[in-house]
Amino acid sequence: MSLRSIDNLLNWNSKRRGFLMDAATALSTIALTSILQRDGLLAADGPEIDAANPYRPRPGHHAAKAKNVIVLFCAGAVSQIETWDYKPVLLKRDGENLADGPKVTFQGPAGNLAKPQYKFRPRGECGKMVSDMLPHLAELTDDIAFVHSLTSKSNTHGPAENFLSTGSVLDGFPSLGAWLTYALGSECQDLPAYIAIPDPRGVPQNGSNNWGPGFLPAAFQGTVMSAKEPVRHLKSYGVTAENDVATTEILQRLNQRHLSQNPGDSKLSARIASYELAARMQLTVPGIMDLSREPQHVLKMYGADDSNNTIKAGFAKNCIIARRLIEQGVRFVQVFNGAYASGGELNWDGHNKLKEQYDRHAQIFDQPAAALIRDLRQRGMLEDTLVVWCTEFGRMPMFQAGAAGRDHNPEGFTCWMTGAGIRGGVSHGATDDLGWKAIENVHPLYDFNATILHLLGIDHERLTFQHNGIARRLTNVEGNVIREILS
Amino acid sequence: MHNSISAIRNIGNIAKAIAPDFRGCMAWLVLLTSTFCVAAETSEGRLNEPDFVRDVRPIFEAHCYGCHGPQKQKSGYRLDAKSIAFSGGDVYGEAIVANKPTESVLIQLVTSTEMGERMPPEGPRLTPEEIATLKKWIEAGAVWPDGVDNVEIEDKRDHWSLKERHSIELPDVLNHSSLRDGIDYFVNQKLEQAGLSMSEDASRSTWLRRVTLDLLGLPPAPQDYQTFLADHSPDAYERVVDRLLGSPRYGERWGQHWLDVVRYADTHGFEVNTERPNAWPYRDYVISAINQDTPYDHFVREQIAGDQINADAATGFLITASVLLPGQIGADEPSKRLARQDSLDEIVVNIGQTFLGLSVGCARCHDHKFDAISQKDYYSMQAFVAGVEYEDRELQTNEAKEARRRAEEAKKQLASVRRELDLLGPIAFQGKMRASLNAERNTDRIVPHRGKKLRFRILKTNNLEPCIDELEVLNAHGVNIALASTGTKVRSSGDNIAPDRHELRFINDGQYGNSRSWMSNEMGKGWVELEFPQTEDIHYIVWGRDRERVYKDRLAIEYRIEIEDENGQWHFVSDESDRAEFNPDASANAGALLQYAADSNDERWRNLKAQWEELEAIIAQDTQGQLAFAGKFRQPDVIRLLSRGDPEQPKEPVSPAVIEALGTLTLASDSSESQRRVALANWIATAENPLTARVMVNRIWQYHFGMGLVETSNDFGRNGSHPTHPELLDWLATEFIQSNWSIKALHRRIVLSSTYRQSSQWNEKAAAKDADSRLLWRYPPRRMDAEMVRDSLLAISGRLHFQVGGRGFDLFDKRGGLSGFEPIETSSAANCRRMIYAHKIRREREAVFGVFDCPDAGQSTPRRRESTTPLQALNLLNSRFVIEHATALAEKVEARSELTTAEKVNQLYWIVLGREANDEEQRELVPWIQQAGIMPLCRALINSNEFLLIP
Repeated sequence: MSLRSIDNLLNWNSKRRGFLMDAATALSTIALTSILQRDGLLAADGPEIDAANPYRPRPGHHAAKAKNVIVLFCAGAVSQIETWDYKPVLLKRDGENLADGPKVTFQGPAGNLAKPQYKFRPRGECGKMVSDMLPHLAELTDDIAFVHSLTSKSNTHGPAENFLSTGSVLDGFPSLGAWLTYALGSECQDLPAYIAIPDPRGVPQNGSNNWGPGFLPAAFQGTVMSAKEPVRHLKSYGVTAENDVATTEILQRLNQRHLSQNPGDSKLSARIASYELAARMQLTVPGIMDLSREPQHVLKMYGADDSNNTIKAGFAKNCIIARRLIEQGVRFVQVFNGAYASGGELNWDGHNKLKEQYDRHAQIFDQPAAALIRDLRQRGMLEDTLVVWCTEFGRMPMFQAGAAGRDHNPEGFTCWMTGAGIRGGVSHGATDDLGWKAIENVHPLYDFNATILHLLGIDHERLTFQHNGIARRLTNVEGNVIREILS
Repeated sequence: MHNSISAIRNIGNIAKAIAPDFRGCMAWLVLLTSTFCVAAETSEGRLNEPDFVRDVRPIFEAHCYGCHGPQKQKSGYRLDAKSIAFSGGDVYGEAIVANKPTESVLIQLVTSTEMGERMPPEGPRLTPEEIATLKKWIEAGAVWPDGVDNVEIEDKRDHWSLKERHSIELPDVLNHSSLRDGIDYFVNQKLEQAGLSMSEDASRSTWLRRVTLDLLGLPPAPQDYQTFLADHSPDAYERVVDRLLGSPRYGERWGQHWLDVVRYADTHGFEVNTERPNAWPYRDYVISAINQDTPYDHFVREQIAGDQINADAATGFLITASVLLPGQIGADEPSKRLARQDSLDEIVVNIGQTFLGLSVGCARCHDHKFDAISQKDYYSMQAFVAGVEYEDRELQTNEAKEARRRAEEAKKQLASVRRELDLLGPIAFQGKMRASLNAERNTDRIVPHRGKKLRFRILKTNNLEPCIDELEVLNAHGVNIALASTGTKVRSSGDNIAPDRHELRFINDGQYGNSRSWMSNEMGKGWVELEFPQTEDIHYIVWGRDRERVYKDRLAIEYRIEIEDENGQWHFVSDESDRAEFNPDASANAGALLQYAADSNDERWRNLKAQWEELEAIIAQDTQGQLAFAGKFRQPDVIRLLSRGDPEQPKEPVSPAVIEALGTLTLASDSSESQRRVALANWIATAENPLTARVMVNRIWQYHFGMGLVETSNDFGRNGSHPTHPELLDWLATEFIQSNWSIKALHRRIVLSSTYRQSSQWNEKAAAKDADSRLLWRYPPRRMDAEMVRDSLLAISGRLHFQVGGRGFDLFDKRGGLSGFEPIETSSAANCRRMIYAHKIRREREAVFGVFDCPDAGQSTPRRRESTTPLQALNLLNSRFVIEHATALAEKVEARSELTTAEKVNQLYWIVLGREANDEEQRELVPWIQQAGIMPLCRALINSNEFLLIP
């Protein structure tokens, strides 16, 4: 469809809207009458979704602290020891064999304890010790609530990314963003409620599982777009603008006549409405992608102008797009940093050459991510936007035998949140002296997800969807809100 | 009563915990009644002893009910229901042992000093007085009078689907005008009870469109309408049905439904998501079994134990799930045990939900909360499949054996043809252009050099660290002198080691493929050096990234080969500079070698090339279908009950046994692997099993009407929905069994019934009572699903390619592997096959049609949801694939130059919608067509609601 055809469509629709609206209202009242005594369980298929407008805003269970979410997702498992979880004991015990440690870890034989590869220093008013690896983000510690005692159910990237994103280690479950938009819809009616933005280097290890709808309706899957590649099929392939105009005009007439012959079917008006939303998306998305109107100082703040590091510039542009989407009222935006398995070259999976690889990854991630948070704060958007930083698990306190990198560690790692509803400058929970196992206020990732839902006004135990005989939840039968990090 | 076969019925005024919008399954379970129990006469005058109601229960209420009461039962434990309070939850044993307070877990936990163990974990502790009361009460016999609880235990076995079917008579109905099949009696009866009635018959063309889409997944061709509309014989409808059920297209449609349920895919899932190259024989088995109308009981047996009854590929059913491959599982033992448990769990889940409609998997960690399935039942079921491994199996049919022999022979011949070809190719540095590099196999024929050492230095790769699966160095006799077995030593610049996959020693071990390869530890570079036991005459070098043609990454695209002579002088003998430019998109096939000699008039060359191609074709043909991902069977593991499903907390071993509430079949613990599966299959595939026929009849019904008689077609348990027409379901199940479990006979009676033949016309009055038409006052129209949209588009454009079976065609640029699949949007003969023949990448939805609620094969999909999204609109309007086929459709109609514009419009309407354009439409369309041609009309029709809805 071309822009002209979209204008056409919108004008035509506004003329016709009165009729459609009437029909839709009449329908929805009828549709509520079901002859069957539906027992709680069937109606338990969650919130009532209006097929004609699946993204219509819906109320949560309680007053929300946050309206929107941006998730910064670092794929490959970022080492807590090199970043946020300061372990001075490791400095003393560097190179020491850990007698009571595991002989074999995920990838093979374990080596000796290894000190943090970056220097730590106190930051902000709270004095939180953070490493020099991420200097820009380190400046924001007064606004951040760290959870240092997370655990995962798997030590393998795929199942663990599933677990982080969907609350199940298995394939096929709905992602956090799908659950959220299914529950709440979106304030924005010109864009999908949920956008996933992959890293310029490629998609994360578990790919679309991280933004899939699982068994929820397809309308709630994450739509993929990035600075590199806008939404697929936004423009027609290889046909003229006249063809687009003629197609949409004819289609409207076909559908309108068909609807008038079958006035009762809400499916028909829902499909017509979906073409209208598609037309609006065609108008809105190019504007969001066009960064030329961003002031130079903003581009600079994010590092989007860094011509020496095109990956960083690409990631920075993704961060700007994330802000713009939230400005439009999109409910949930996931920004990925790090791509697929590549021996740690393209993501945070530092098995062999951790320092060398993290130097590069931090360059790409740090400044843009910090700028995004600052930018949101400057615009007052952190008032109702929650920013989450997460990774699927942590890394071991020792190096792998014969390597300069750390193996997978799901028994204690760090993620954090900032923004709406979050108490800044908090470090909650702790791992042992070596940063190996969570020992204080231990939180399985279920709790982290339950907390995100809570901030959005959702009781994680009440957000359910009936599937194959089970009222499924994001948090399975677990989950406790981490109240200590709430403001 | 053991709590596995019981549920809790709440008879107190316990608040409904769940808000109306988000009612969870608990709301159904906890049935509210108006009965109130009065705690009366609970003590018998022993005033000194604690009384349960007066003294003990208040303690529980104050400290325990928050987590172990009416609303939550943490660890499966509750203290408000007598039997569970005594027997204990999922973690510990008996919680209350009468007269023995110290043995009672309850007392141990409330008195524990261990953090994390002591109860309650939060809030005030029990006071010493309270603990004393509890102890005293237990010492005195823990008297908990009957009838004082606010909840009562319900027998979980008391559930309709677990009960045997009774013979059912056709009911009396008032309206006899629309009774064609027994089905119509039951449907009319319910409609009459609700004050409703069936709609008129749909028009003949509507029925034809409906039944054709429904049974074949393709729209009728214009001549199908003509034939049927002109056929006024009394059995015209029947003959249409016979034609459709006899069509091979039928199995391709209904096979898809089955594959949805069993979550079939052609990759292994999880993050590596590698190709499962031999999965498709199972897909083909399903299509062919359905086309042959294999009796359903037999279909069940074949899928569980087909290896025993000459249906080898059928057991692919057992292992359709995602699985972690050995390389992905942690090297530590607990990781391995967990992975094995997960993979066994998937098999049990698949059997339970597919054949029995039971969520057996829920009992993995604790007794099923709703259904009569105990944790012991779950592990006993696991014991039936405890010898199944997720692996390929060589098919043992005679055809398969013969094909294997042929392929082996051809491979040997191919190797010798290759050797000859190697010696014919241009020599490096002689001014002749050589073939471009490829990932499979490259030859560097050189000016012969004598030397003791050879160095292969990589300067650049297409990406990442270089990887070489084998480096071969050949002398004048074509003997590989690089082999470690000849005494050649190897060293390198540095290695990325993945044990048993990438090691330096694999570079000259004589074995090919990624899993026997060397990888450098530097991005884009590295070298290996061979030292031969003695000085050799070197004539050519052969090397590749992956001779098995799976991997194309990590390929050396700039390299140098050097040889050290007897004097220690290094000679630079070859590099890529005289090769044709590297093409990263070329297929990883050594056929590229042939390109630059093809102009040569050398007859020997041409002969060899011809032989090569012939042998490649034989190998491709004869290696297909030799292996099926259908399970390897071995000595079964000892299966133990696992506390909380945790493999690190094993309890007592269990023998194979069926779910206690459903039957008595138990096998000895030393039963052989095959005995186990055969016994399980036979137990499921009987008329006596109350679930098997009901579940399948309901699935068939669901696919015809969009919704089953039981809405939750994978869950016939207490948490599932009740049938709308229970008598009809049982009657159909009985008829199904009596027809020798014929699925086709069931289709036939359904699609010929008045119920199915009704119009789908909306009726406001009826809708006011039954908006969803669950009672079937009209035929409920529904949107086509993803496969049907794609297949129908190809059918109407005239490009549909009816190639049956075999390896799947590609929807993406690769067949598995790490993320980042690029869709193929161009159309070719291969990808114009029906979508069921696509190589299904788990969780990677097809780029254009996937968004029409196409399952991702992660979890079982018993019914396609029907959601509407703007992405569907964008894809169907704008994608290259759709536009190309809309253009093809336009060309097809435009080619009929003898037709007027109005006639062309009519022709198009027949093809796409199965009707003529009416006068008004004709008038409206003519100006558009004159202005923009017929293509926009094609595009619009493809996007129209009328096309996309099954009427």
